[in-house]
Amino acid sequence: MVEAFAVASGKGGTGKTTTTVALGMALAEEYDVTVVDADTGMANLLFHTGLTDADATLHDLLIAGSARSVEDAVYERFGMRVVPCGTSLEAFEAADPDRLRAVVAELAADADVILLDSPAALGSKSAVLPVVLADRVAVVVEPTIPALSDGLKVQEYAASYGTDTAGVVFNKVRDPEAASDVAEKAERYFDGPTLATVPDSDAARAARRAGAPLLAHAPDSDAARAYQAAAGTLDVRAGESDAVADRFRSAVAPDSP
Amino acid sequence: MSLPSGTLVLSRVVGDPGDALATALDRGLTGYAVLEPQDALLLDGTGEGRLTFEDGVPVAAGHTGTGRRGADALADLAVPGPYRVELRSVSAGALEAYHREADRRVAADAPADLLAGDAALADRTRAAAPTSRRDETADAGSMDAVEAFLDDEEKIDAIRERAREEARERAEQWGFDETLE
Repeated sequence: MVEAFAVASGKGGTGKTTTTVALGMALAEEYDVTVVDADTGMANLLFHTGLTDADATLHDLLIAGSARSVEDAVYERFGMRVVPCGTSLEAFEAADPDRLRAVVAELAADADVILLDSPAALGSKSAVLPVVLADRVAVVVEPTIPALSDGLKVQEYAASYGTDTAGVVFNKVRDPEAASDVAEKAERYFDGPTLATVPDSDAARAARRAGAPLLAHAPDSDAARAYQAAAGTLDVRAGESDAVADRFRSAVAPDSP
Repeated sequence: MSLPSGTLVLSRVVGDPGDALATALDRGLTGYAVLEPQDALLLDGTGEGRLTFEDGVPVAAGHTGTGRRGADALADLAVPGPYRVELRSVSAGALEAYHREADRRVAADAPADLLAGDAALADRTRAAAPTSRRDETADAGSMDAVEAFLDDEEKIDAIRERAREEARERAEQWGFDETLE
């Protein structure tokens, strides 16, 4: 009974982690939600959730021979289960991205919704793996030509690997009226609806500085309300399968040699 | 109108045109950049983009393939990388005639906004601009450029098709073959 979403953008700086955490908190009002920092090379979920001192992280779970169990790296925060990733380059280099599949499989047992905060790149296997593992991708873009073009690339990669598009979040919007025209035109090309047009917000920056999610730090801000609405638009299909873990275990990524 | 060849200060292939803009800004370049997207499939015809700078701040743009100028030329250049970039240094006087053609001029932050989608670089460029240009902003015009980009179905289809090809090629490389749709 779980649906896994990759929150992805192709381009850095679009507010992907803010979006992952905000959607997670909003969805947690109805579902059991687990958010995972799958951006193992540039982790920052820990900074958004007050987990900078986390003892065990996803890195520990991806290193061969680690004594850590998945449960060790799961933290109950803000009504969600949060799996942060560490920021050590050494741990990133030691991590085996293929192990993410087994970690997601285990997390799936206790979740309705899994959100994978995905790397802002398409150039390596570890960057693309979260998109491959997910059932659907939520694409986060700013209303700029480069961000839209990279967002479309993410969608096409995802579709090529059997992952559908759940929708598009237009983030850091400075002119909502103009951006709404852009969103309308963009809908022709994206295979999912516009989930939200989120205004550029000092509240989001302040939340990040405070190490707290936007929805906890400034729940009444326009940006937080936009994310709440986005979660409402997202038609979660927490599937009927009884064999969720098997589904992820048999997912696409090949076994490590 | 041709620009003098000047002195070549940088020539390389970059994934993100923002790198070239940041280099020009950091060096306080007076001269111009020649930007040539490397994916012929995505080009609006052949040709390349020219973007001039004064003390690192963009002033004017043109596209030799489409013949368009100003923000329209930037929109023609806004495709996924990589780009081949050359930065050339010339005397300020050598740019005067080019800059007198008003339809070539762009807001100081327009290239960072339109080509790189980099708000921080756009802010940094505005801060470095002469006082008389600080009120210029790409914001007003940039949404028009984004809409024009989205109206170009042929270009968008080419971007999508290219991405699908890349995904298929890399699937083999990464061992994702069995997942291909």
